[in-house]
Amino acid sequence: VTRTPPDNPLIAEFLDDYFAECDEHLTVIRRGLLAFESQIGRVRPDRRLCDELLRSLHTIKGLSGMVAIQPAESLSHQMESFLRALQDGNQPLTTDSFEALIAGTRRLEEVLAASRTHASMPDSAALIARFEALSRASAPLSTSLSTSPSTAAQESLPGRAVTSAGGVAGGGEEPSDGGLPQGMVLWRFGFQPSVPLHERGVNVTSVRKRLQAIGDIRYAAPRIAENGGGISFEFLVAAPADAAAFAGWQADGLTWTQEPPPETAGRSAPGALPAAVGLAPLSVTNSVRVDLSRLDTLVQLVGDLVISRSRLADILQRLDPSLPAAQRRALQETNQAIERQLRMLRDGVMRVRLVPISEAFARLQFIVRDLAGEQGKQIKLEVYGQETEIDKYLVERIRDPLLHLIRNAIGHGLEPAAERLACSKPAEGRITLRAATAGESVVLEVEDDGRGIDAADVAAQAHALGLRDTPDLAEGLSLLDILCLPGFTTRTQADRISGRGVGMDVVRSTIRELGGSLAMDSRPGRGTRFSLRLPLTLAIADALIAGVGRQTFAIPRALVEEVLPLGSCSSTRFENNEVILHRGQVLPLVRLASVLGLNEVAVQDHGFALVIDLGASQAALAVDTLVGLREIVVRTLTDPLVRVPGIVGATELGDGRAVLILDAPALIRAARQPPHGESRRRVEV
Amino acid sequence: MQRMKKILVVDDSATMRHMVQASLSRLAESAFIEAGNGLEAIEQLALTAVDLIVADLNMPDMHGIELIRFVRKQPAYQAVPIVVLTTRSDAASRSAALAAGASYYLTKPFSPDELAAEVGRLLTHA
Repeated sequence: VTRTPPDNPLIAEFLDDYFAECDEHLTVIRRGLLAFESQIGRVRPDRRLCDELLRSLHTIKGLSGMVAIQPAESLSHQMESFLRALQDGNQPLTTDSFEALIAGTRRLEEVLAASRTHASMPDSAALIARFEALSRASAPLSTSLSTSPSTAAQESLPGRAVTSAGGVAGGGEEPSDGGLPQGMVLWRFGFQPSVPLHERGVNVTSVRKRLQAIGDIRYAAPRIAENGGGISFEFLVAAPADAAAFAGWQADGLTWTQEPPPETAGRSAPGALPAAVGLAPLSVTNSVRVDLSRLDTLVQLVGDLVISRSRLADILQRLDPSLPAAQRRALQETNQAIERQLRMLRDGVMRVRLVPISEAFARLQFIVRDLAGEQGKQIKLEVYGQETEIDKYLVERIRDPLLHLIRNAIGHGLEPAAERLACSKPAEGRITLRAATAGESVVLEVEDDGRGIDAADVAAQAHALGLRDTPDLAEGLSLLDILCLPGFTTRTQADRISGRGVGMDVVRSTIRELGGSLAMDSRPGRGTRFSLRLPLTLAIADALIAGVGRQTFAIPRALVEEVLPLGSCSSTRFENNEVILHRGQVLPLVRLASVLGLNEVAVQDHGFALVIDLGASQAALAVDTLVGLREIVVRTLTDPLVRVPGIVGATELGDGRAVLILDAPALIRAARQPPHGESRRRVEV
Repeated sequence: MQRMKKILVVDDSATMRHMVQASLSRLAESAFIEAGNGLEAIEQLALTAVDLIVADLNMPDMHGIELIRFVRKQPAYQAVPIVVLTTRSDAASRSAALAAGASYYLTKPFSPDELAAEVGRLLTHA
């Protein structure tokens, strides 16, 4: 396999595609391996799982050869050989060989990452030797690994060979209907492709997708019509008996008949479904891989349209009042239609960028497994909401913060088994990962049922580190605020579990940069939960446009819980702090004018209080005027020279004015810090 | 003037299909159709007249050798050149593919020059 790659002009041209496709396959492999763990101890593990892993490894091998990334080629080849030996041999999958597969996958990732960044290549020789030994041990005695001529072609044929023309394949390749679930019958579908159907998007792949939606495809094969007619495809599908689901499909070239009920006598046990079961997932030709930069251009264009539209709305507002009402109405209606369509366009474009969070979660599951092994802790990982979709850009940016929270949970949160048993908890620690969509936000949670965070401990630690003169929770700094002070750590040793140089401060600032917020809820002895709230999409957001004095600002709508007229809720002073009473709660009131150092005319009693979500608590931000709710295009300020805490970016309003977008929670926190907080703020900048 | 030659590229990897097309793009006047598996390939062959097929062996659903056998059963495609492009370098796979009706057997990693030269030759002779 280690041949010298030919001098290949394709390498440079396809390297990006190569990395992208390998990433997809690694995701499939990671997910597959998690399911494969259940097969430990089994001889000839589940064919469907094996095939899926083999296919991805095989593709990585082939592509790596083409782009001359030899370590990836050899490693994937060895892993593939081992899985094949396992599939055909009589040795069970052991914990040790499973661990080797995990280690191999991780090394593949590392090799690809090193190639991508031109870093030095990790050494894979030992792993390759390990797989060679494993393959030798697992191979059936009769088959040598060098694939003797009699077995090679056979081996390369998967169990589900396709039928010959006009009939069922010899050797009983068509699967039995054994193992039909309760209430399911076997349907035989025929599909005859044609050019008109193909032009309408009805093809063998879309038909298969349709059949997958109604049941489980047990078999698929092409046929040549006996009368010399064209090609057709036949599918056996286990689906409910009710044919109503496919009424009307005749128009799409489909025919169907119900198979006679299976004779149960002499059938193999339900568990022993033949290898023919389990078609591959939809082929890749059904989707298009698009460069993210092209999508970014689209988003940018939609953003420009949003600005032009609000300019149009602005002009309409100031239309000459002498214009006949009918004309004015027509213009208004058209403007509203454009607004509606633009919103749909925006949603459509944003949806293209959404990917399921499962990709990021699968990687974390992998890491949890690994760290649990390293630390000798028993950990059960529960994952909810994997199908939740999130912007592709966000998924990449939150990977490190999530990883850090997981490492913390394992390293600091979960107690060793003995300690857990002593507090009458189950020996097995639990980590829960949750994802859910909440309005315009996505909420991700990392929760453990460990020892919780000891507030006094944290305060003492911060004090010892000299991070604050008098770290005191009563000062308004929350526990989370202290954890997020730059340089804060509860580590007693630089263990690799929770270290790697990233602190909670980086976690929080990354999330804030993404326009999100971080909250924490910790109960001593019960566990800790971190919640990350992130905008569903970046770039375009709804914002409240508010005025203070002569200045106008934008505040992201997602952060504002409520708007109250200041006159309705009298504010009072309480130990140097202004507060308002709202829904039976005392909320600190922060005046935007004073935070920003704008010349205050007088403390106003008109104006509005915006109730801002600070994660664990709320506070009110006072502004003079409210212009309204607008769709804004967020232009982030990435230049470190113009980055200021409390400002997340800038936007352009319909009238062409540029306004700053405020990070309201950060401003409120800054304002509520006592003067000696100055030293810290300087460090942060 | 010759009509445009249609080449069907069958591989479950999109990157690999594009690499094949890039290698063959130097051949004048050829158009490409893609298929990600055997069933898609058979559908394409039923809908359009194809002049040459480049196919992988290890594919989901339908193995390349089964694909070749099925293609050869159709009168219209008994003589169409089929180039097998696979990572399998063993003699057994090679002879199985040729016995099923492949015209040429090339292993991955392939040389774009060799692929283009062979496809060019097969198209002229066909």
